[in-house]
Amino acid sequence: MSRHQYAMVMDLNKCLGCQTCTIACKKLWTDRDGTGYMYWNNVETRPGLGYPRQWDRIGGGWKDGSLQPSPLPTMDDYGHAWEYNYEQRLYEGKKQPVMPSPEPKSGCNWDEDVGGMNEDENYFFYLPRICNHCTYPACLEACPRKAIYKREEDGIVVIDQDRCQGYRYCIKACPYKKIYFNEVTGKSEKCIFCYPRLEKGQVNACAAQCPGRLRFVGLLDDPESPVHKLVLVHKIALPLFPEKGTQPNVFYVPPFNPPKRENYGKSIQEDPRVPLDYLMYLFGPDVKDVITRLEAELKKTQEGGRSEALQLLIGRDAETRFHVLPQLVQIQL
Amino acid sequence: MRTSQLSIVASAVLLLSLMTWAQAGAKPAAGQSLSVVASPASADNLLHGGPAAWNQIVVKHVALNRTPPLYDTDEPATLEIPSVDVRTARAGGKLLVQLNWRDPTHDAIALPEVPDTPPETRFRKVQTEADDRFFDAAAVMFPAKPGSDAIAPSLQMGDAEHPVEIYYWNATRGAMLMQAQGRGTTRRSGQSFPVNSTYQNGQWNVIFELPDLPSGTTVAFAVWNGSQKDRDGRKYFSVWQVLE
Repeated sequence: MSRHQYAMVMDLNKCLGCQTCTIACKKLWTDRDGTGYMYWNNVETRPGLGYPRQWDRIGGGWKDGSLQPSPLPTMDDYGHAWEYNYEQRLYEGKKQPVMPSPEPKSGCNWDEDVGGMNEDENYFFYLPRICNHCTYPACLEACPRKAIYKREEDGIVVIDQDRCQGYRYCIKACPYKKIYFNEVTGKSEKCIFCYPRLEKGQVNACAAQCPGRLRFVGLLDDPESPVHKLVLVHKIALPLFPEKGTQPNVFYVPPFNPPKRENYGKSIQEDPRVPLDYLMYLFGPDVKDVITRLEAELKKTQEGGRSEALQLLIGRDAETRFHVLPQLVQIQL
Repeated sequence: MRTSQLSIVASAVLLLSLMTWAQAGAKPAAGQSLSVVASPASADNLLHGGPAAWNQIVVKHVALNRTPPLYDTDEPATLEIPSVDVRTARAGGKLLVQLNWRDPTHDAIALPEVPDTPPETRFRKVQTEADDRFFDAAAVMFPAKPGSDAIAPSLQMGDAEHPVEIYYWNATRGAMLMQAQGRGTTRRSGQSFPVNSTYQNGQWNVIFELPDLPSGTTVAFAVWNGSQKDRDGRKYFSVWQVLE
């Protein structure tokens, strides 16, 4: 256990699926050789395949104190990089349209906005994902090189690139498949929760750039931080797949708004837009209680009252959404 | 015998065999000796001169063992490479070790060349083409202080009192020198060493150029089969052999 724990809350009701977070992360961290397919931050449409494809059904994580097996996702699951034949079309006078090659068959956000059907209505929502910087990281346990460690000062999980030898046990062990192998360097890489930014008092790039203002960052154990309030006081944010046993430190406010068409006056649980079963699949059974709480807060404001929880979720300014405390987590030398 | 009893017996056997190869112990018995020929050929000729330079050198058939599953989540692996043929020769103040083994799957690639320019200055970056391939490899391990010890180090990458040197060759990433003082302590020194490898007719032939080691030094060999997802301690290993 670390002395402090940085955490992030993402309000899925506010995510636009614009991928600004993805690009902010990519430009900052994975614009290098061998990192093309790496999205330390990705946004996927749910229900959907996810990235890598079917990561939620592959395996990994803990069960009864033991690591669970999992195959490695293949490049078919991530999608192969493709190029366009601009030269042929533009300079060689070929008449055929510009085409990608090899034929794209998968990729990040491959099934964007496809979603699923709830009776006769289509529904979907966006799920932004980063490394969960778990309290009990399966990746850390799986690494025979002890190249992965959880920073004692802030709970951020990082891979020591000097110790890593690219064995990829960590990728198998991570139930969220948020570690990527760089074949050029022969080492594995992952989200570092922008610790170099946090150490300078700057919030994570994905959170800073988010136009939907749906990301909240702070120490989970800091009573003043928005993440502490949302997760532990208001209890309206939940981790993804809690049954995987790693105890993630990224939490989600489940999508419960807007109501389904023509269901005015009904409870969201009575006639949900997103089927409750699907939300329970993602966030576990506690999602019911969270939606009940959110609905009660909503009712309070609709009746002219004030909801601290919803005011916080609006997240008007950076001071509300982020509570970065570099002085608290600096390494004592 | 019920399955649970069987597994207890199997565990006991495994534990005993692990104890024998995991711990530092007495010198290997006779029969585990490797004859070393003082070759009239030069070290360079032995390394690059092809099979003719090695014709006169006696071959030793060394049995390989598969490491037991190291982790609960390990996929089982069968013994596909039961042995390695070893030839050793002294020439020009070097010890040359030739390893020859049958491996029908050639698990090696030519990694794409990375330009010298920083990636941020280039529109195109080198891509990771696959994330799930592992490569054939081999290694020779010997005590870091050869000849000074009466007992052989632990076969599991040495131990605190008996550090080891490991000359590791990977079919894709080349030769690298490592040091270790027990399992999980392996460190790459960043140095390389001369090696020559060929793959022909389902056979690997890898020649390592080592510093000359005194007679009586223990050496052990390891082979990794990429297609069996070998890496780390998931590999084939020999017991200690003694240089004559």
